[in-house]
Amino acid sequence: MNDWSMNRRAVVKAMLVGSVAPWVINSRAFASSCSDHIVRVGSMGAPDSMNPFATWSSFWPLVLSYDSLVGVDAQRHPDRRGFAKAWAVADDGLTWTIKVWPGMKWSDGQPATARDAAFTYNYLLGSVGKPDELNIGQNSTDGMEQVASVTAIDDETLRIVTKAPTRWPIDNFVLMVPEHVWKDIGYADARSTFRNDPPLVGTGPMIVAEFQQGQFVRLTPNAYFRTEQPKTAGMIIHFFTTQDPIAQGLKSGSFDCGGVTAAQWAAFSKESDIGVYESRVEQRDYLAFNTASGKGAGSTKALQDPAFRDAIGYAIDQKAIVDRAYRGHADPGVGIVMPVAADYYSDLSDIRRRFDLAEAGRRLDAAGYRDTNGDGVREDKEGKSLQLELITGKASGVSEIPIAAVQLVAGWLGQIGIPVSVTQLDSGALTARTTAPTDGGGSWDLLIASNWLSSSPHDLLVLGSSKSIGLTNRSYWTNEKFDALLTEVDRTVDLKRSQELVDQAARLIYAEAPYIILSHPLTLGAYRKDCFQGWGPEDAISDWSYFPFDRLRPI
Amino acid sequence: MAGNAQEGRTSRIGNVLIRAAITLSMVATLNFVLFRVIPGDPAALLLGGARMSVSAERIEAQRQNWGLDRPLFPDQILDYLSATLHGDLGYSFKFRGRLVSDLIWERLPATIALVGLAQLIAMLCGVMLGLYAGWRRGGAVDRIAMGASLALYSTPSFWLAMVLVVIFSTALGWFPGYGIYSPGASIGSTDKILDYLRHLALPVAAVALGLIGQYVVVARAAMSDVVTEDYMVTARAKGLTNGQMLMRHAFRNAMLPLVTLITLNLGYVVAGAITVEAVFAWPGIGGLTVEALNARDYPVLQGIFLLLGVSIVAANLLADLAYGILDPRIRQ
Repeated sequence: MNDWSMNRRAVVKAMLVGSVAPWVINSRAFASSCSDHIVRVGSMGAPDSMNPFATWSSFWPLVLSYDSLVGVDAQRHPDRRGFAKAWAVADDGLTWTIKVWPGMKWSDGQPATARDAAFTYNYLLGSVGKPDELNIGQNSTDGMEQVASVTAIDDETLRIVTKAPTRWPIDNFVLMVPEHVWKDIGYADARSTFRNDPPLVGTGPMIVAEFQQGQFVRLTPNAYFRTEQPKTAGMIIHFFTTQDPIAQGLKSGSFDCGGVTAAQWAAFSKESDIGVYESRVEQRDYLAFNTASGKGAGSTKALQDPAFRDAIGYAIDQKAIVDRAYRGHADPGVGIVMPVAADYYSDLSDIRRRFDLAEAGRRLDAAGYRDTNGDGVREDKEGKSLQLELITGKASGVSEIPIAAVQLVAGWLGQIGIPVSVTQLDSGALTARTTAPTDGGGSWDLLIASNWLSSSPHDLLVLGSSKSIGLTNRSYWTNEKFDALLTEVDRTVDLKRSQELVDQAARLIYAEAPYIILSHPLTLGAYRKDCFQGWGPEDAISDWSYFPFDRLRPI
Repeated sequence: MAGNAQEGRTSRIGNVLIRAAITLSMVATLNFVLFRVIPGDPAALLLGGARMSVSAERIEAQRQNWGLDRPLFPDQILDYLSATLHGDLGYSFKFRGRLVSDLIWERLPATIALVGLAQLIAMLCGVMLGLYAGWRRGGAVDRIAMGASLALYSTPSFWLAMVLVVIFSTALGWFPGYGIYSPGASIGSTDKILDYLRHLALPVAAVALGLIGQYVVVARAAMSDVVTEDYMVTARAKGLTNGQMLMRHAFRNAMLPLVTLITLNLGYVVAGAITVEAVFAWPGIGGLTVEALNARDYPVLQGIFLLLGVSIVAANLLADLAYGILDPRIRQ
């Protein structure tokens, strides 16, 4: 009898659980379909604040809610604009006149004028030299030492006067913020404690309405967006630390778009309801030599010898790296300028090194790095067998370098008699090891790393700047002529002259070879075709602005 | 005699509490030292993600802003210990201006829901299954339970999590594969709870399945030892039924090693489940730890590890007290 009671209770419990399960599973709360017209995005990243003066880590989603004055996309694409509709520089190269969109409004309905743009820049300028200088976020005083004044001539006209000719007024990424929201925020708060809680007030097409740290941001369409209110019902960007869940979400229809790995890209490219894209970006993967002498120098003086570095350049097959490590989703590296910076890019065909291990060996022999004792390992000029330490790791804000690329480089160097031991580090340890020798860095030989800066002429060349040693310049290489070219580029507005200077500098650093540029990886992504149309033809999603989320249309 | 026992108990609890206090003060000090030993400069990492070249002056200015330019010993450590004693865990580096205690408090409920529930399920299922397998050694249940347990125990939890996502989220569409709730859904309170439970299902399953194995293995071993004891033979000779033998003698004696495992695991509940949280984008303490570690966010790391230290010390305290209740020899 007892046994039967037990069984009966168990059956009743099972029935109860069973009856609830379908209800739970089919609850409307979990429905995710095209019908709500909300664009769902899976993204790698971890935004930490909605305050553009306090962070760089929230580029997404801040760039959807705020406009920069001009920026990268507006200079590359005639159909993409920011806060400014048009811009021009006077013949003196100092005075920039920027016309903002007439009748533009903030998302709260207030007029958005040139006075707001002037406020944004003057707010930053006012903090210069103060203990709480606004120099840590996307809206930063960086570069403002070149600015003499920023004035609103009228509601539609902004004038920026610089101390020397510079393209900074149109190259900077400062996001325009409304004066009526920010005028009472002190610098100390703007730098740290002011959270700028949603809903934000911006001029972008999508306004951050909810931010859950470590989870998602929800954005609603800006009813006052300058062209017209976006056709979609908003966006939700979910943040992840790995890409697998994004791919699964794309597959199941939970996401409309997201970044993917090369393997996922290949799988999605075969599916009819999913489109794939690859975008050229400013990332440079490079092999750097520790050229420091004295404190922080590498294990051999050979690293300081341009002939040694040049010879090794012949042992690097960039095409093989692209094909085998990146599965074709990268451009082979040549000079320090990447192909996406089309105005400045050159393939340096007249001085370019071609992969040839025998040639690399011959050049090493000629430079005095021979294998004199026949053990298969070359010796340096002091007679010490070469054994180089190659350090690598992922830096923040860039795509990860496949370990296959590192193995390929180590393999080629081994084949020309230079054994290499590889040490993989996390981003913190990598930063510590590669900081300037004066700050305790150095004592490594080779470095494989990446950076992703803008395509402004300054950022293209900063890899070799003596002022950036241990920061962007991780080879510790210095060259007075190169520094002079960089200084001149910084003071040049004329595009043609700027191109000439960048080309000279690129050739100089290529010949000296403190870096061998390995590749320029493409960012890969996928989008579903069943809910929205209007994705870009090639770079379906911009890495610099809100394109195409301002113009997507529900199907 | 009763007074002596009472005094002994009080003295034992007093000793345990003193040991706990000493352990916690050591944890707090080590927290300060350990994270600063890891190479990496928080200011350089914070500004390193910028898409513009960053000057050395900017990095140094940020270090000064955080007080990292001051000597570690004694300035920084004394400030830290004094603030910690007053319950002030400081401000986060990465999460601009957010109080560390706020950040931890925000993430803790999600972690306790995920790991706590998974521990509870794993504990109930694993202990019952393990005890039964130990009681019926060599039987079908024993063989299946041991095989499955070892397989689950040795399976990486992130892989298990991905398999669950692929089957139950992508293929069948039964459960969401990420997040803690559906953002922006205008739904009633009942649906909100169901929404939460549905999001919780797969992460809890992934953590619980990974934990069940160790409970089964330990419970089975404990029960296997007990059933061969002399007092069990005596009990059978006295004519006790299987149920009576199990409940009166076997179960209680087999619980001692399990109490250690259970209480220690309870201590780790607040640590989160880093890999599973990563797969499901679950906003728990595990994810916060990874973010803080990548950014060398010392105040957040110190706060999390202090909480973990307190939790483990409390769990040990609980285990000590439970031993006394379960085992009269320890009580005496």
